[in-house]
Amino acid sequence: MSTRVLLADDEPDIQLIARLALKRAGFEVTAVANGAEVLARVAEVQPQAILLDWMMPEMDGFETCARLKADPLTRDIPVIFVTAKAQESEIDRGLKLGAVGYITKPFDALTLGSQVRTFLGLGAQPA
Amino acid sequence: MTIRTKVFGVLGALVLAALVQTLVALQMARERGWGREDADRTARVLEHLAVLSRAVLDMQDALKGFALTGDPVYEQQYHQASELYNRTLTLLPENGTVTDVRQLERLRTIDARVADWHAAVWMPVFARRRSGEDVAAFVLREGRPREAKIREAIDRFETHEQSTLAVQRRDTSLRYTRATLTLLAIPAAAIVLLLVFIVVVTRVVLDPLSVVAESARQISAGNFSVTLPAGRSDEIGALVTTFRDMTAAVQRREQDLTIALERQRQIAREYAALQAQAESQRKQLLATIDTVPAALVIVGAPDGRVLLQNGAAEALIGPPPRTSDELRRSRRRLRTLRRDGRVCPRREWAVVRALRGEVVVGQELTIRHPSGRLVPVLVSAAPLRDEAGTITGAVVAFQDITRLHEVDRMKSEFVSIVSHELRTPLTSLKGSLQLVLDEALQLPKEERLQLLRVALASTDRLIRIINDILDISKVEAGGLRLHLKPCEIGELVKQSIQSVEQIAWSASVRLETSLPPDVPGVVVDPDRIVQALVNLLSNALKFAPPGSTVRVDARRNPDGSVGVSVRDEGKGIPPEKIGLLFQKFQQIDGSDSRRVPGTGLGLAITKALIELHGGRIDVWSELGVGTRFTITLPAAPALAA
Repeated sequence: MSTRVLLADDEPDIQLIARLALKRAGFEVTAVANGAEVLARVAEVQPQAILLDWMMPEMDGFETCARLKADPLTRDIPVIFVTAKAQESEIDRGLKLGAVGYITKPFDALTLGSQVRTFLGLGAQPA
Repeated sequence: MTIRTKVFGVLGALVLAALVQTLVALQMARERGWGREDADRTARVLEHLAVLSRAVLDMQDALKGFALTGDPVYEQQYHQASELYNRTLTLLPENGTVTDVRQLERLRTIDARVADWHAAVWMPVFARRRSGEDVAAFVLREGRPREAKIREAIDRFETHEQSTLAVQRRDTSLRYTRATLTLLAIPAAAIVLLLVFIVVVTRVVLDPLSVVAESARQISAGNFSVTLPAGRSDEIGALVTTFRDMTAAVQRREQDLTIALERQRQIAREYAALQAQAESQRKQLLATIDTVPAALVIVGAPDGRVLLQNGAAEALIGPPPRTSDELRRSRRRLRTLRRDGRVCPRREWAVVRALRGEVVVGQELTIRHPSGRLVPVLVSAAPLRDEAGTITGAVVAFQDITRLHEVDRMKSEFVSIVSHELRTPLTSLKGSLQLVLDEALQLPKEERLQLLRVALASTDRLIRIINDILDISKVEAGGLRLHLKPCEIGELVKQSIQSVEQIAWSASVRLETSLPPDVPGVVVDPDRIVQALVNLLSNALKFAPPGSTVRVDARRNPDGSVGVSVRDEGKGIPPEKIGLLFQKFQQIDGSDSRRVPGTGLGLAITKALIELHGGRIDVWSELGVGTRFTITLPAAPALAA
């Protein structure tokens, strides 16, 4: 049973690439375009991990994460930030919210999956 | 001769006169006394004579009585009278009443005649009566002539004394009168002398003194031409001389004072001129520092009170405090914060450090504006010294760096956004190529082609972003060159439509144009105009909901200029954001998804490009209705429509 991932990014290209990269790594990916959609679909998708882009319209990654962590139903779902923002303070904020880690853009499509695995504490990908 | 001498002389004369008068009067009084003494004596002589006469008569009566009666009583009577007579007789010369030889002679005469009578008449009568003889006739014969003689002698004496008395009395009264007159003459003379004295004093002393006094009055009134009594060698003369000298001295001093006063006035005028000069210089300084855009404050040592501040300072930190109360409040307000947010202690304030002699450049602080707003400022301060090198104050310059911070903030935000914008297509580029090349993935051809298309699109996007950044930099630096050519706006519109057709199609938005033939040609850089139009169209497509229409209209304006407007039917721009639209790095919230993401530079570049052409760009928007951007370009001068 592959791990379900809910991915949020407002760029369709990124969605495509991330989805393919994660699929390659054995994840089942659902992609949405912003934070509001994340909250809307989290119950339905029941992901085991959520990948959030930081800068999104309507609700950005930060707020989305905050809300996820505030909701007891979603609190325990590990959140990983995928962001082009590289400032210390921003990353700090994110981690303080309870994210398990962050991945910077541009990411390596070939190792994206294993990075996520590592954050989730999963072992190596089954062959 | 001095007045004193005169005065004393007159007084002496007065005294002397009085003395003489007194002596004379005294003498006269004494003489009067004497006179009275004489008169009294003469009176007494007369009294005694009267007594004597009476005694003699009594003796004669006694004799007659005895002669007639032989009564021993008459004998007794005779003896008594005789005794009285004798007593009186001796008394007269004895008590000094009779002193004159003639008087004594007369007394002796009387006495001799009485003795004679006594011997010739009494004795015989006394003897004959005893013998009983008739004595009456004897008495008559012998007595009468002798009595008459006695009578005569006494009378003579009396008469003489009486006349003496009268003379004496008259004399006395004369003397009395004279003495009284003399006594009266003393005060009279004294009064006369006193009057003389007064006249003398008046003439000699008082008149000249009042002349001098009058002169003094004249001189104190400023009139120096006075005549003084001259040529006297006494005290008045000395006074006049001294007075004249004093007048001269006063006159000289007055002249000196006038000169000094004039000099003082001169100095005062010069001082006033200097003050006016200083004031005008001060005003000049104030005017000069008012032109300085930074806030300048000049403070005085040691307490830092404000001496001068320019308009910019007044705007930034308010008017200078006038009372110590205001000073305290302003100090509290100026409680500054360092960049890190911590409170900057007073001893580290630039102004305090400058007053200590330090030159401070570029200290970053936050101060509180009178309105309450916190203002970041750049503070520089330097001490002001006088010729001796003592610190007299400090000059402090504040620069409101809110804008700078803002720009900084915007720049870092820009960097952040740009970084994000760049990384996104790079991610797509890298990722897509990685996936295409990954053998293990075994992607179907369709997917591979899609990925390659994504890679290409990402490359294009990168190019666009980089171009935008370069453009805006060139515009900012003034280095953007336009290649102007005569163009038809319609052509340019068509070109830009072509560029965005694909996007419009995928967004299900219709593109419509209106290009009337009477639109004049323009002289523009066609690429840049197309760039601008594409930017506007992209924005419009961003906002246009699916199924709506985006219109591009070109027209000829009444003043001959060319107008092109791009209208969408999107949700509109809130009024508060309209002012920010054309600013750099401003992102308008896209709708649900971003189709042509921008850097926030598009409109800024568009505006700059249009303005470089001498045109302008305006925006109209209504929430819920749509937005319209209108470009106005000047018509080409030579081309007709």
